[in-house]
Amino acid sequence: MRVQESGPMALLFQRLGPKVLIWLTLTFLVIWTATPIIWAILSSFKDPLEIYESKSLLPEVWRLDAYRKVLSMPGFGTWLMNSIIVTVVATIVPLILAILAAYGFARYAFKFRHVLLLLYLIPRIIPRVSLIVPLNDLMSDLGLINTYSVLFITYIASAVPLATWILVGFFGSIPKEIEESATLDGANMWNRLRHVMLPMAWPGVVTAAVLCLREAWNEFSFVLALVNQTDMRTLPYQLYMLKDSMGIQDYAVYNAFTILTVLPLLLVYLLLERKVVDSIVSGAVKS
Amino acid sequence: MAEGYVEYRNLRKSFGGLEILHGVDLTIPEGAFAVLVGPSGCGKSTLLRMTAGLENVTSGEINIAGRLVNNVHAKNRGIAMVFQSYALYPHMSVEDNMSFGLKMRKTPLQLITDRIKRAASILKLGPMLDRLPSQLSGGQRQRVAMGRALTREPEVFLFDEPLSNLDAKLRVEMRAEIKALHQRLKTTTIYVTHDQIEAMTMADIVVVMHDGRIEQVGEPLAIYDRPANLFVAEFLGSPAMNLIPGTIAQDADGRCVQTEAGMRLPLDSGAKGTVGQKVVYGIRPEHLQLDPAGDLPIRLTLVEPAGWETHVHADLGGQIVRMVSTKRVAQRAGDSTTAKIDATRAHLFDAATGNRL
Repeated sequence: MRVQESGPMALLFQRLGPKVLIWLTLTFLVIWTATPIIWAILSSFKDPLEIYESKSLLPEVWRLDAYRKVLSMPGFGTWLMNSIIVTVVATIVPLILAILAAYGFARYAFKFRHVLLLLYLIPRIIPRVSLIVPLNDLMSDLGLINTYSVLFITYIASAVPLATWILVGFFGSIPKEIEESATLDGANMWNRLRHVMLPMAWPGVVTAAVLCLREAWNEFSFVLALVNQTDMRTLPYQLYMLKDSMGIQDYAVYNAFTILTVLPLLLVYLLLERKVVDSIVSGAVKS
Repeated sequence: MAEGYVEYRNLRKSFGGLEILHGVDLTIPEGAFAVLVGPSGCGKSTLLRMTAGLENVTSGEINIAGRLVNNVHAKNRGIAMVFQSYALYPHMSVEDNMSFGLKMRKTPLQLITDRIKRAASILKLGPMLDRLPSQLSGGQRQRVAMGRALTREPEVFLFDEPLSNLDAKLRVEMRAEIKALHQRLKTTTIYVTHDQIEAMTMADIVVVMHDGRIEQVGEPLAIYDRPANLFVAEFLGSPAMNLIPGTIAQDADGRCVQTEAGMRLPLDSGAKGTVGQKVVYGIRPEHLQLDPAGDLPIRLTLVEPAGWETHVHADLGGQIVRMVSTKRVAQRAGDSTTAKIDATRAHLFDAATGNRL
């Protein structure tokens, strides 16, 4: 038995076994995640009927018809612009508020600091669905339904805690002595934040920005509850409405719309991927 | 040299209900290199941070150059501080690190350039001005931290255990560099360390602290030669002073200290204390020597040859004592021999109070 165990095959398995298992798992996960996306991309270039009839994953002829149809939709430019405006505001404003809040939480000792930081999480702990009806009532009373303001308010309120929590960790991990050194160098609070803390927490700021951006770009339930005019829709909202207006059979257009909706976010991810991954890893191992 | 460039008067510091400094009174003359030394938690770093303005004063006074600075902001105290962890700005180049303080004070650009040039030349940082701190070795980073302080041209330099993160060889080199820098600039310096070798070698004035109090202030060798109490006697000196409890007794040759085991330790004729008084007899390891003609029987327990000197541990009447000899020691652990004490170098402390007699 002992001889068998230490044979060349057993040794090979001992050495490669764990690696093979890891590779198999990763391959499965990649296939699991990527298949729907690849299918959506490929079928967006197909004829609508071909999607149902052809057994091939690849299109017989690469067509851009679906993309033309999407881009020529009368409201596409408006929906895209709505998404961009809401996302830019709901990324920049929460980031600024979160930087200031996180700096305060991380660096200033005050009563109930930890309690406040926990309370900060409430908007994210309460299920969003349960907020929709009261929010709709409240915003109707305030006359804000179908305005940018209502989307700004809700998106920002949702993003600030997320960004703050990320940044508290990053600011907190910067050695206090560096900031004290800046104090002795004559830097006031704003200068310390601007010249020392922010550059040092930059990976965290980028991470928070990407997460806020992703959340704002993908947001669906608030916009569904608080907007009912066609010209105030965002891309995810319109994607949902597309199902009814186009009929579920036109998967090519549906997928082309999906790809065009996801594309900007994907580009941002690709640009910042290294920074975000680095920061998540560094945040995880900092003491 | 004007008196009292940095002065502490009845300075106290509490964190919550816990008092860390119990009324510190200290005067550091202009241009002096004062070293605050003591074990961890003795309050030396707190005192330094209060001087810098990084900690509030609970009560008492801090005066710098005749000006009460208790409520003066850290940036306006005319001080520069070098931290144990260097505390460099990691995203800035060496040059930016050194110029940051000047830029914050809106110093004219030409003056900034001049000062960086001067500091870089003094500290040999010229070739690395464009580098980031992460591209430098520990010693170079420490020099940048000093350069950053230097460009500010402060009235007082504060050093908070600046050599603790360096390896032994580099520590010795940097020790000499800091001392040389002080001799060149003559800026009043307060240096905190728990390393008594640093204190002895660098200081004009050593301030020994313990439990939030100053135990003794003085020139290094003066403190070494005449420690004010048992704490200072034991803390300063490596290996530490041998402290042997006993009672002053009278024998045919005069007074001596009789240990609990009945050994008789010689006393100088001028030694204080009265017969029958309970004392602690202190003798530094270099003043207790192996000597075949000696009158103290000992048994060696450990011999540590260090090259230029030999450390010997021995049993003297049931108590382990340490000796340092500059001669090679032929005996081995377990050998019985005799030792001799230089009675003129013996120290006597009151057993009850711990104070020097």
